[in-house]
Formats: sequence, structure tokens, C-alpha cells
Amino acid sequence: MSAARASGAPVSGAPVSGAGKAGRWRLRAAQLRAFAARYAGRADGMLGLVVLVFFGILALAPELFVGPLETATRASAHAFDAPSAQHLLGADDLGRDILNRTVHGARISMTIGLMATVITLVFGVVLGLVAGYSGGLVDNLLMRIADFFLVLPTFVLALILAPVLIEVVGADAEVMGIRATLLVIIVVIGITSWAATARIIRSQTLSLKERMFVDRARVVGVGPGRIILRHILPNVMNLIVANAVLTFASAVLTETTLSFIGLGDPFQPSWGQILNGAQDSGAAGLGAWWVIAPPAVSVVLVILAFTLMGNALDDLLNPKSRVRR
Amino acid sequence: MTAEIRGRRQWPLPKQADPAAPLLRVNNLQTHFQLGRGWVKAVDGVSFGLDDGEALGLVGESGCGKTTTALSLVRLLPSNGRIRGGSVELFGIDLVPKTDRQLDRYRWREISIVFQGAMNALNPVVQVRRQIAEPVQYRLNQSESASLKRADELLDMVGIPSRRLGAYPHELSGGMRQRAMIAMALACDPAIVIGDEPTTALDAMVQAQILVLLEQLRRDLGLSLILITHDLSVVAETCDRVLVMYAGRVAEEGPVSRVFTEPRHPYTRKLLGAFPNIRSDRRTLETIPGEPPDLVNPPAGCRFAPRCAQAMPVCAGTLPPEVSFDDGVRVACHLFGTTA
Amino acid sequence: MSARYLGQRLLQAIVTIAAIVLLNFLLFRLMPGSPERILLRNPNLSQQVVEATRARWGLDKPLIPDQLVSYIGSTLEGDLGYSFKFRGQPVTSVIADRVGPTLLLVGLGELISVFVGIAIGAYAGWRRGGVVDRVGSGVSLVLYSMPYFVIGMPLIVIFAAGLGWFPTSGMTSVGGGDRPFPDNIIDLARHLALPLATVSLGLIGQYSILMRSAIIETRSEDYITTARAKGLRDGRVLRAHAFPNAMLPMVTLIAINLGYVIGGAITAEIVFSWPGLGTLTVTALQSRDYPVLQGIFLLVAVSVVLANLAADIIYGLLDPRVRR
Ligand SMILES: Nc1ncnc2c1ncn2[C@@H]1O[C@H](COP(=O)(O)OP(=O)(O)OP(=O)(O)O)[C@@H](O)[C@H]1O
Ligand code: SF4
Ligand SMILES: [Mg+2]
Repeated sequence: MSAARASGAPVSGAPVSGAGKAGRWRLRAAQLRAFAARYAGRADGMLGLVVLVFFGILALAPELFVGPLETATRASAHAFDAPSAQHLLGADDLGRDILNRTVHGARISMTIGLMATVITLVFGVVLGLVAGYSGGLVDNLLMRIADFFLVLPTFVLALILAPVLIEVVGADAEVMGIRATLLVIIVVIGITSWAATARIIRSQTLSLKERMFVDRARVVGVGPGRIILRHILPNVMNLIVANAVLTFASAVLTETTLSFIGLGDPFQPSWGQILNGAQDSGAAGLGAWWVIAPPAVSVVLVILAFTLMGNALDDLLNPKSRVRR
Repeated sequence: MTAEIRGRRQWPLPKQADPAAPLLRVNNLQTHFQLGRGWVKAVDGVSFGLDDGEALGLVGESGCGKTTTALSLVRLLPSNGRIRGGSVELFGIDLVPKTDRQLDRYRWREISIVFQGAMNALNPVVQVRRQIAEPVQYRLNQSESASLKRADELLDMVGIPSRRLGAYPHELSGGMRQRAMIAMALACDPAIVIGDEPTTALDAMVQAQILVLLEQLRRDLGLSLILITHDLSVVAETCDRVLVMYAGRVAEEGPVSRVFTEPRHPYTRKLLGAFPNIRSDRRTLETIPGEPPDLVNPPAGCRFAPRCAQAMPVCAGTLPPEVSFDDGVRVACHLFGTTA
Repeated sequence: MSARYLGQRLLQAIVTIAAIVLLNFLLFRLMPGSPERILLRNPNLSQQVVEATRARWGLDKPLIPDQLVSYIGSTLEGDLGYSFKFRGQPVTSVIADRVGPTLLLVGLGELISVFVGIAIGAYAGWRRGGVVDRVGSGVSLVLYSMPYFVIGMPLIVIFAAGLGWFPTSGMTSVGGGDRPFPDNIIDLARHLALPLATVSLGLIGQYSILMRSAIIETRSEDYITTARAKGLRDGRVLRAHAFPNAMLPMVTLIAINLGYVIGGAITAEIVFSWPGLGTLTVTALQSRDYPVLQGIFLLVAVSVVLANLAADIIYGLLDPRVRR
């Protein structure tokens, strides 16, 4: 009487078998289309997608809606001007336009979220694959470390790591055009959140390996690297996707919180940074809701959108789907 | 209507009961499950009866709707399941239109169930004897201590040693758990006990013990039994009548002695042929080629037609009517449509 | 619960705590410049303190084992060093001053949200698709997406700045704590109201979401069908069969969250300037007061590990299957 009986064959059913390259791609494309159709049937997932596309456009091209970044960091009004025709969402304590800052904040917040997610996934997936595939001592060691990171109060650790790392690299350094402060936030999120991903990937790798070696013919004379890349990775892709979306949500949350606490970069307004300014200037106590509402609503919408999408994907893609956290 | 005591029953019949009505009468039952792509017609027009003290065997391939039929009697269906037609009359009272709240009065007190796989059917965090006492306390309104005392008696009756009284489900062996399930099913002294593959997943020795126990209890307590099983020899040994289902419909029904010695429906014949112990003259086991039909879009005519060696042109298009024979057997097959 | 199970969990906790102490030690040593340079750069310290600290760390001796051993020794004695920011006060006493307010705020918040969250989640999951489920799950999901400061700031705008019902910040009015009973309590309660609401709302989302999914999961178990087959009232099936099983995963979450009670709801405290460990953390962060930060990290980490241990033990008590 389980729901599994009622649902159609999951995309992740049997390991994708190698029936020639073209055949494989055709199979993948068909699976993808079938999956897209099922995803489209999920109202919550589609709602999340719409919100995400909206903020994605803001992040990609803020200039389409407001002036360039410089206008967001310069005063153009009086302190705490209420919303008006000129400044649709009013101004903050330094007379900077809130709409302008919020739109630009989308880019910073989403970029950091994205990069932190990538780092988390790279660490988590690689370590999870290695642990699950090699088993034995390596697996044991890696999973003990993962367990350690799972009990560790990672947010407090992040608070300690962030200033330490900033001092190491220097606050004004730039890597690939990203200022060090932001980079540190990205790395800190990655370091402190890879463990959960690694655990999920590991357990899936384990069961895939079992199945793979039952089907011995497929693995004789093939090196482990190739087995992982060609046979296991494609089959954990579903999990990675579902996990990535949920990781993104928590990365944006962590970034916002770290910035709110004052670890952000004052020259690059993320939503957390704007709220940090609101906090420092006592905007709430002054009743200046327009400083708070736009970034706050944006954060909540983005996290909500990702959570909705993540849950939908998880239901559709993860064979042993369980609500986590 | 006056409340009557009937058979070996210890307490009055429900108020609306018709004392002249048979114990259980199922008419044209249709239980379907809703899926994205349509309704799964898991049970589609099943009728049968059960008399006081009778044992009915329910057999058929996996997925033919045995469990669904049984669960429909007291409507314990998964959330996507609906009874979309027919009636289930217990003492002449139709249970189908009753609300869940009203049905609660019949559940366990009149019809109880021994589920397959007691490991999952018992609550893992509650002591077994408390689970047995629960229906006594809450359905028969006995005090907690009286209920526990009754539970201990029941456990004793099914042969669980008294030192295991405080056990949790995982602390008992598979056979013991199944015994505990039986004890639980007897807690309210019901009129009908349904056994849904009560011995699957047990080893042969334990299976035999459980079946002997069930049989003995049935005789001692005058229970009526519906036994779902894949083991035709069990049916042969313990049941009075047998109902053979195929793809949600009745293929053949009648006294075990008749159906097993002279199977009429092609499916029954195949089924018996596929089973070694009944017809000992057979050396090689027959298998039934093909697969059961998709129950969302079943064949328009006889559901067995795609696999039937004797299929005729009429079979594909027309539903075979049920035909009753003098020896009490009922068959749904065009082979007999005109001759009976 | 067998001694073996208990022993295993204890050992695990001890190893984890040891690893945390080691991590703490290394972090401090690997930080930019040696501890000595940090000490020398810090103008707030008197010469006396610098010397005392140096001697305690044995900075001339090798990192491992001498410094590690003395570090572990002093940590076990409860000596976590001296604060940079607070004029050389011992870290332990700086932290101890802030524990009370945090326990009051987050402890109460936990208590409220555990009851409310579980009640909402259980009911929503049991009556899946019903009104409570639709409204409750929607609200829970939104709350779950809101960091504490995003909940707290609007509360200030509306109830403090707008309606003026509650003060915007702090734990007492000036002199409020010295007023006679019951005025001092009323003053405290007025200050507590909004931060408490913030913390509770944030946690309610989390608890109700998990409880809902736990109930939904148990709802499809066979023993629930058995309970329904017994003709038990719906409420009894929920209370006696679904609930105890659904609570198993909850116990772990609650216990782990209780471990974080010590860490406080950092951003909630900041928004309301609540004088707890959360604000202390940020103050220490802003002044790069590493000893205090590390003390807080150690405290939070250890309490989380202990909470995990407690979770395992309670789980063992609730679930007979792990007793042996
Ligand atoms: N919740 C459900 N949703 C959709 N289809 C279902 C559901 N439950 C059962 N079915 C389908 O209904 C049909 C009958 O199932 P049922 O469990 O009654 O079979 P059964 O005869 O008891 O089989 P078995 O011998 O394996 O126990 C099957 O085809 C099954 O796939
Ligand atoms: S009705 Fe036709 S197809 Fe069906 S069992 Fe009889 S002979 Fe075979
Ligand atoms: Mg069945």
C-alpha cells in the first residue's frame, strides 16, 4: 500500500545501460522529457521555478531594471526617505535607493549561493563517490569525518573561520574578480556543509556498486576511475540535482546570515548586507519598513522557491526520498 | 428488531441485523484504485457468501485482488482506493454506505484480520500484550487490567509461553509473532476472521503449526474464516469452499471437494496444474504462459482470454456470465455459458 | 538499553569532544600570526596578562606535544584564557554572564515551539490535504524559509515602532530590574515577548514540517492499518500508534536543537540586542576577540555533542528495538 506502487517508473530506475553512445543519448533525452512532464505536474515545483526565473533575471541583468551598481552604493536621496515616485521603495540611512540595492543584491546573493553550492557539491560528491566506491578503511575514515562535521555547530565554526580566512588572504584581495570577503563566505559555506551531500551520495554509490558487481560483465578490466565516471556518476546525477537545489537554499540562507552579522562586503550589497545596514541604523525601531521589507521578502522568496523546487525534485528523483533536516 | 443470539455467539447481533440473513453476502463488489492514468479495477464485480462456521479459501495469482477483496469488507483501503459499487452485507446489513465512524463498530468485533507479515502489522514500540488488550479495552469497554488479563489468556491459548508476556514484537520469532496476531484477531470474539496469507514468510514447520492452530481455534470457537493463500494444499486441508479469482473477477467458486477434483474453468485447471500436490498423477508442472492483464484497461470480454488455450471468438468481446451448477459450483466461462 | 549500546554512544561522544578540542587548539595556533603576535598586537591587554598567558601556553616550547598538553590541561580546568575585548577578563566568566539570558530566551522558545510545532505538524500530517494541512504547511514552509532576523525585524516595525506595545531592544528598561516584584517581572516579560515570538516562530516551522512528514510516513505503515482494522477511534490510532513512532525522529531533532540552545539564536539576539551569547558572539567577532569566540565554539560544540548523546539515549528508551 505504498505510494511507490502508485507512481510510474522512476527516472532513476535501473542503471543506465550502455547500448551505444547514440542509443544512450536518445534514452537520456527521452527520460529527460518524461521527467520534465512529471515535474510540470507539480504545482509547488513550478511555483518555485517561476520565482527563481524572476530572481535569476534580476541577478543576470540588474541594469535592465535599475541603474548600474555604482548608483546602488551612492546616495541619491535623503536619509530614510519614505517610498515616493522617484524612489519607489524609499532610501536607507545613507540615502541610497532601496529598490536599486535590492535588485543588485540579487546578483551578489545568488552568485554566492551558486558558488557555495558548487563547492559543496564538488567536495560532497567526490568524497561521497570515493568513500562509497572504495569502502573499507577509506570509507570508514571519510564517514567519521563527515559525521564529525555533521555534529559540529557549523554556523559558529563559520563565524570563527570567516575572519581568520579574511586575515589570511587580506580583505582587499581579489580572485577572479570576486572580492576576498565574498570568497571567504563561499569557502566557509562549502567547508561546513559538504558532509550531508557526501553521506547521501555515498549510500547511493554503495548500492549501485553492489548492483554493478552483480553484473560482472560490465566491469571486468575497467579501471575504478572509469567505473565511477561512466557507470556510477550518471546514476547518482538525479540525487545530485535534487541535493544541489536544497543546498542552494541553505547556502543563500547562510550567506544572508553571515552578511547580516557583518561579515559581508560593504561595497557589494547582498540582501544580508542591506539588512545589516538596516540593523546598524536601527531602521526597524524607526519604523522604516521599506528598508527591511524588500531584501527580507526577496530572501524568503528565493529560499522558499528553492525549497519548493528541491522538495519536488527530491520526490521525483530520489528513490528513498525522505524529508531531511 | 429484537437482538438475537445466534450460533455460538456470546453477545447480541447488531440492532439492524436480520436474523434470517446469511452471515456474509458480498454482491457485485467493485473496488478500484485511482491512479494518474485511470482507475485500477482491482476488484470488479465479485460476489460470494460465507455461512456461520464456514471456511472459505481465496486463491489466485499475485495481484488478482484477494487482499483488496478482503480489505473491502471493512473498508480498510489505501487512500486512493474506493468501493465504487456493490454491497457487503453482514447479517443483512450493508456496510458499504456506512460512514467510517459507523463501520468502526463492525471492525474487529465482527470481522477481524490476521495480516501477512506480523512484523510490520504489529506496532514496534508497543508491547505485544498491550496491542492485544487494546481492542478489548477500547472496543468492549473493559478495564485496563481486565483487558490485559484477557490478553494473557489469549496468548496462552495460542501457545505463547507466559514468560514472553512483556515482549515487544521484534523480540518474538516470526511464528510467535503470527501467533500473537491470531490472538489479537480473536480478542473480541469476532464472527469472521480473515487470514491474509497468515503463514507466508514462515518456514514449513511453523507454517504447519500455525495452520493447525487456526483450524483448531476455528472449530473450538465456531469462527467463520476467510483464508487467503497461495498454497492450494492448505485450502484443500482447511477450507470448505474455495473462491478462485482472476484479474479482479471470480473465475470459479464452490465446495473444495468439487472444485479441486473437477475444475471447470480453464484458469482453475491451469492453477491446479501449476501446483504439484493436489493432483498427484502429474509429473511435470504446468506454467501459465503470459501475464495477467493491465487492470486499468482490462480486456472487454473474458479477462483470461489472452492466455486461455480454449479461447473462442466470443471470449474476447463478451464478458462470460456466471453459471451455477447443481453441485454448488459457480463458473464464469463461455465454455459453460450455453450448456448449464 | 544495553550497557553495550550506552558504552558505544559514550565512547563516540568522548572521541568527538576530543576532536573538537583538538580542532579548537589547531584553529587558534594556525590563525594569522602566532598567538603571541595576536597578543602583542592587542592593545587592551596589560603586560601582566600577556606574560601570564605566555607562561600558560608555553609559547617557547614545541606545538605538539607540550603546547597541546598544556592546552588540554587548562581547558579541562575550565581555563579558556582571557578575553581581548573585555579588558583581560577570563573567558569563562565573560561567557558565564551571558548564559542566563540565552537560556531564558531560547529555552522558552524551544519549549513553546516543540509543543505548538508538533501539534500542528501531527494534525496536518494526519489530515493530509485538510484545511489545517494547507494553511499550516504553507505557513510553516514560509517560516522555515525565514532566518530569525527576517522574522524579528518586521515584528519590531509593527509591534514596537508601530503599535508601541513592546520595547524595541534589551532585556530590561533602565532600572527596570531593580523595581519591586512584580514590576520587574512584567518589565522582563515585555522585553522578552518579541524575541521569544521570533525564536518560537522560527522553530515552529521546522518542527511542524518534520513532524508532518514523520506522521505521513507512519500513516502508511501496516500497523496503522491494523489499528484501523481494530475499529479504534481515529484519535486513538493517532495518539497510541502513529504518534509514538513519528516522535522517534523528532526526539533526535529536538535534542540536537537543545544543544544549540546554548549557542543561542544569534541573529534573534542581535535584532533585539538581547544580552545573551549570540550578541556576545558578534561582539567578539567584531573585535576579533578570538579567545572568547573559541570559548563559545567549544561550549556550543560540547553541548551539541552531549545533546546528541542524550538523543541517542532517549531514542534507546523510546524504541525497544535498540535496547539490546
Ligand atoms: N494503492 C493501490 N493503488 C493502485 N493499485 C493498487 C493499490 N493496491 C493494490 N493495487 C493493485 O490492485 C491489484 C490487486 O492487489 P491485491 O493486493 O489485492 O492483490 P493480491 O491478490 O492480494 O496479491 P498478492 O497475492 O500479491 O497479495 C494489483 O494489481 C495491485 O497492483
Ligand atoms: S471465457 Fe473463453 S477465454 Fe475465458 S476462460 Fe472461458 S474459454 Fe477461456
Ligand atoms: Mg495480498
